Amino acid sequence: MKFNLPIFDIKNLTFIVKGQSILSNISLEIFRSEYIAIIGPNGGGKTTLIRMLLGLEKPTSGEVKIYGKKLSNFKEWYKIGYVPQRASHVDSSFPATVLDIVKMGRTSQGGFFSSFNEEDKKLVYDAMDRMGILDLKDKMIGTLSGGQRQRAMIARALASKPEILILDEPNTGVDAASQKNFYALLRKLNQEDKITIVFITHDIGVIADDIARLFTINQKAIICNNPKQLLSCQEMSELYGIDAHLLHIHKHEH
Amino acid sequence: MLEMFEYDFMQRAFIAGIIIAVLASVSGTFVVLKRYSMISETLAHSALVGVAVGLVGGFNPLWMAVLFAIISAWLIEYLRSAFSLYSDAVLAILLSGSLAAAVIIVSLGGAFNNSLFSYLFGSILSVSSDDVVTIAIFGTLSLGALLFFSKELYFIAYDEEVAKTSGIKVNFLNFLLVSVVAIIIALSIRVVGSLLIGALMIIPSVSALQFRVGFLKTVIISLVIALFSVVLGMTFSFYFSLPSGATIVLCVLGIFIMSIIINRK
Repeated sequence: MKFNLPIFDIKNLTFIVKGQSILSNISLEIFRSEYIAIIGPNGGGKTTLIRMLLGLEKPTSGEVKIYGKKLSNFKEWYKIGYVPQRASHVDSSFPATVLDIVKMGRTSQGGFFSSFNEEDKKLVYDAMDRMGILDLKDKMIGTLSGGQRQRAMIARALASKPEILILDEPNTGVDAASQKNFYALLRKLNQEDKITIVFITHDIGVIADDIARLFTINQKAIICNNPKQLLSCQEMSELYGIDAHLLHIHKHEH
Repeated sequence: MLEMFEYDFMQRAFIAGIIIAVLASVSGTFVVLKRYSMISETLAHSALVGVAVGLVGGFNPLWMAVLFAIISAWLIEYLRSAFSLYSDAVLAILLSGSLAAAVIIVSLGGAFNNSLFSYLFGSILSVSSDDVVTIAIFGTLSLGALLFFSKELYFIAYDEEVAKTSGIKVNFLNFLLVSVVAIIIALSIRVVGSLLIGALMIIPSVSALQFRVGFLKTVIISLVIALFSVVLGMTFSFYFSLPSGATIVLCVLGIFIMSIIINRK
């Protein structure tokens, strides 16, 4: 069974800030080679959940395990490529070419004194090639369009040879044509390279055919194992509202 | 023009000045990109406490300046992370607090004289052979640490959280950066003066950023601007008997204005 050991194992995760519950008792698992979409209303806790998976926030209670290890004991962070929400809003005067940005993906594995070896170089150029930004490599990041910038951010994540790619609404400010290419690319990364993908998005309709499971997060989590069916039979509005009935049905299905 | 090098003190001042130009501009690039610009002002004032302790207590003022600047840098990082204080407020509090402490210490010790004045605005006359050795040793160590971790520091400056999630020791490196900056600032106050060193650290990098080029080129442009300003400033200082820190800062300011005009769209 290829789905044996979960990459992420989240148990009873609760996050309370100043008396306000952001996430409440969330348990879920993310398995190798899965393509997971996360949807939910703004302020529903999607980004918070992702930040906890990455160790950027500490849960009030509950536990996150990654490759079977506690986050604090986990060392192989290069296996995780993270593209944050604000990636498309980088400071336009930051002194970085596309090449500078993508090279950052090799930082934690590369040698000291800014040295990059042949393998680093190859991975960096491969990543740019796959994202179709090789001809932009000497362009300043601040001069790129939203779609190009997004591809640079993902190239950086790919350069570290990740086993899992976590994307937090990377499409903000990207035109429709680039989005379509982008979804095709994610599908390819998932199906051909077996990269696990966790994707916060609003465009659930477009990728429903690609994804394995859908999580709806609004303080609590609804885990939907058959997104196509669910989408066809449930109103999106109902999904976003989360009701206890749905939660009950889908909680123990996988 | 070369006659100024006939004087030993000018040779020492130039060696110290060139080392400081390299250190200030390279570290300054990281400081500016991390939006830490004000930290240099605060640390310079904390270094002044060290100078005061040194002058009054009879210790080497430069060593004391390094010590106090490092303590202050750690205190800033600690206050920032341990309490939810605004970082600019922390910097402002420590800046005035340090200056007040330095003035009191010097006044009580009866050392309020020209010696302190030279630490405020820099003086090419005051650089001793010991100072050059201290600057060279600490300067090499600081530059080494910066270059050793330059990739990591660059990534952190670009996006601290993504750097963290790719396994970079962000907290350690932030501590390292402020410590190195503290050392560099303390070393600089002989030549540039504590009230003016912030400018030499920040302005060359901000000028270089106007050219909108990649990281390595930005560092190199910043380095060239700093070196040119220090050499020109010290030359003016020599021929017109002006405090070196002030002439250096006015030179770097002139280049900054030119870089804005050249790069205006």
